[in-house]
Amino acid sequence: MSNLLEIREKLKLLYSRNEFILVPILKFMLAFLAICMVNGELGYMAKLDNLGLVLIVSLLCSFLPNGCIILFGAVFSLMHLYELSLEVAIAALAIYLIMFLLFFRMGSKDTVILIFTVVLLAMRIPYVIPVAVGLLATPLAAISVACGTVVYYMLTYISDNATTISSMGADEATAKLRMVIDSVLGNRAMIVMIVAFTVTIVAVYLIRRMSIDYSWSIAMVAGVIIDLVVLLVGDLVYDTNLSLGMAVLGSILALIIAKILEFFRFCVDYSRTEKVQYEDDEYYYYVKAVPKMSMPAVSKTVKRINTQRRPARMAEEDDDMTVAPRRVNRSVVTERTGSRDGHVRHPQNRAGSRSITISGESEGVEPEDFEDI
Amino acid sequence: MLNEERIILMTKMASYEEGEGKKSMALGRYFRGDYISLQLLRAFFCSTIAYLLGFGLYVLYDFEILLEDIYKMDLFVFAQNIIKWYAIFVVGYCVITYAVCAYRYSRAKRSLKVYYHNLKKLDSLYRQ
Repeated sequence: MSNLLEIREKLKLLYSRNEFILVPILKFMLAFLAICMVNGELGYMAKLDNLGLVLIVSLLCSFLPNGCIILFGAVFSLMHLYELSLEVAIAALAIYLIMFLLFFRMGSKDTVILIFTVVLLAMRIPYVIPVAVGLLATPLAAISVACGTVVYYMLTYISDNATTISSMGADEATAKLRMVIDSVLGNRAMIVMIVAFTVTIVAVYLIRRMSIDYSWSIAMVAGVIIDLVVLLVGDLVYDTNLSLGMAVLGSILALIIAKILEFFRFCVDYSRTEKVQYEDDEYYYYVKAVPKMSMPAVSKTVKRINTQRRPARMAEEDDDMTVAPRRVNRSVVTERTGSRDGHVRHPQNRAGSRSITISGESEGVEPEDFEDI
Repeated sequence: MLNEERIILMTKMASYEEGEGKKSMALGRYFRGDYISLQLLRAFFCSTIAYLLGFGLYVLYDFEILLEDIYKMDLFVFAQNIIKWYAIFVVGYCVITYAVCAYRYSRAKRSLKVYYHNLKKLDSLYRQ
């Protein structure tokens, strides 16, 4: 455990030192993934299905706000749909606008969640989303998850029925529109998924905020079970063709990812929980304090102490200011290390063990030239 | 001489100013009533546009049936229904907006209170 904590601290340090470059890289990767998925799923306009263009747009997204990834994703998808059919593009635009005006306006800071929802749904591992969002965000993020689910199901439906849509004539414009609207309003699998995700997000959020031991672990297990139960009930009632095996596998994966998230966000030591009770003039306080598990990253401090008695020859050279002073001849190396006894360090003994190495080396100067320490 | 307490406090405040504080400070410039009214006004326009878009989709969805029935139906009742649903939709959306904005405003005010408290503390540390 102590090794894992050490690695976590190193990763945190690495992130904080290189945040200015890591964040754009991550944004670039996310934008690239999202746009590639749109191109892969739709890809009707050959001009847009160009790696160079995708790279340029992703690069732009890496320096622009997160919302731009959604904007470019929406523009790409609309242009593909326009190539397929004007009516479909208009219906999709109207649905995008309704989502933006009504829902996304409220939770605009959760743009990343929407993109992840679409990407994970496309990767067939959507069960991670509600548990992770419940653990890391607020219930308001359920709006972004629902919007992402709608977008994914709409695009998938259009992609699945592209041949039918393209074979329809201009006189069947309303039929095309109807298909797109049905894909949103009449898609029972999508509605069941949205309900399951929303219920799970709220449940996970409420449980992880409770003042009980192992609240995060309980929340993630309960969330996975609730998600599965709602999906199964939805499947029984509406016949959504849910693959039980995939759902169970996805839920196990969700648990693993949630555990990793817990390690990075909420790693506490319940065995050292303290319960304190005190009062002031107005209130009684019942405080439960759970210490965080932490392990300072190993830091090495090297001190070099030059205690050389300078020979007369060198003193003369220094007076001339023509020769650079000689290098270290005797050094004290102080090394500070973290404890490796497998226990998590307590704040009071955070300093760790300390080892001192004294080494001597001569560089053409006799040992008599040194004075004793 | 470096004052560790002062540096910690300033770092915390700078981090707040760069992150959450940006939004909270913009929000803190308004009185509660002004902020919520502005948001309700925006919500009204957004919900109106969204309703029009939804109505447009509805009309296009049932366009052929609508054209067939347009001479048979009572247009006055039809218009009444449209307005009734519009009112329900807009009022419902504004109520939700009110709840969300009131919560956000109170949260932002709370965080700003902590920020100003830290500011005072910093000032007193400089005076010492």
